Amino acid sequence: MLGGIVLGNKATLRTPTGDDLPFFNALMADMRVRREGQVWHEPATAATWKERLTEAAKEQNAVLWTIEAGGAAVGLALVTWHSEPGHCDLRHLVIDPARWGKGLGTDAAIALHRYFFDYLDKRVVAVEIPVDDERALRIAARLGYTEFGRGHEVYYRDGAYTDKLYLRFDRETWNASWSHEREYDPFPDGVER
Amino acid sequence: MLGPRIAGRNGIELRPPTLEDQKRHITWVAQPEVTRFWAPRHGDFTPERAEERFKRLAERTDAIYWSIAYEGETVGFTGIDDIDWVRRDGESGLFIGRHDLYGRGIATEAVRLRTRFAWTHLRLHRVHNWIALQNRGSRRANEKGGYVQIGLYKGYAYRSGGWLDDWMGEVSPERVFTRE
Repeated sequence: MLGGIVLGNKATLRTPTGDDLPFFNALMADMRVRREGQVWHEPATAATWKERLTEAAKEQNAVLWTIEAGGAAVGLALVTWHSEPGHCDLRHLVIDPARWGKGLGTDAAIALHRYFFDYLDKRVVAVEIPVDDERALRIAARLGYTEFGRGHEVYYRDGAYTDKLYLRFDRETWNASWSHEREYDPFPDGVER
Repeated sequence: MLGPRIAGRNGIELRPPTLEDQKRHITWVAQPEVTRFWAPRHGDFTPERAEERFKRLAERTDAIYWSIAYEGETVGFTGIDDIDWVRRDGESGLFIGRHDLYGRGIATEAVRLRTRFAWTHLRLHRVHNWIALQNRGSRRANEKGGYVQIGLYKGYAYRSGGWLDDWMGEVSPERVFTRE
């Protein structure tokens, strides 16, 4: 499935289109992005990317977004749903390395989690992050993710293995820290009458 | 892909699944005795969909699947999914559909055969899995095969008034060959 619009303060998640595909290809070919973990797909021809977008739109257990800022695509996000309905896995939240350090990843992450907890009624979101991906771990810690497992020698790059951390973010934590983050204003008193 | 035939002990073997096996699968996943730890116990349980699924599994190049046979009869399935051939890592799974055969060591032997094959023929570096903590039989079968706990995912599913937790495990060739 393709995601609808989720508004952040600096970044907007929106429905991916064919025009985004050259950008996705460039993103997945960037060694800095690849170092952060799993690529969504390997670099490929334009025709293959078009097929991938068609498949992503049909996929019932995953939702794909383009992340946009200032009118340009700056990243992508992909979430997969569990067979257990209260859970989901944030598989990818990738920001163009040229835009790192501007708070776009944090902003997109807050907006996306608000959508999960405050709109879709999810209980838990899980992510897997390499132990040396300090940037992603910093965003995860700021949001309220906590570690619940560690896989040993999982990611292979630069000629060596690296461990990965399994992290989870519970709705109770979201409510305690981010309850001011609402998408819609409260209804006025007496609206039910 | 479908895995090759691997003979084990006590009348247990792994063998390539057949379409008939897939049709058994759709009757097993509809049974409450078998689905305490599997969800959702509903789906497109038709022979046509079973055939499609069988074809799809066989075509995958990032996974390997076996039927588990006991005394010549298919009683369940096992395999390794989502294999990353660069990292040489995959996620294992196991399902015994014949609940009347629980407790006979079938899963333990299937895990042993599957794990050895992962090192000696697929050249994997790591295999990991998620098992309900309360599913003691499956967890013990994997622990006997060399899996060790690397985490615990609390409250992953709700069943019969209580929460199930997920035991997260992994195994490496060093661990298995050292034990042997």
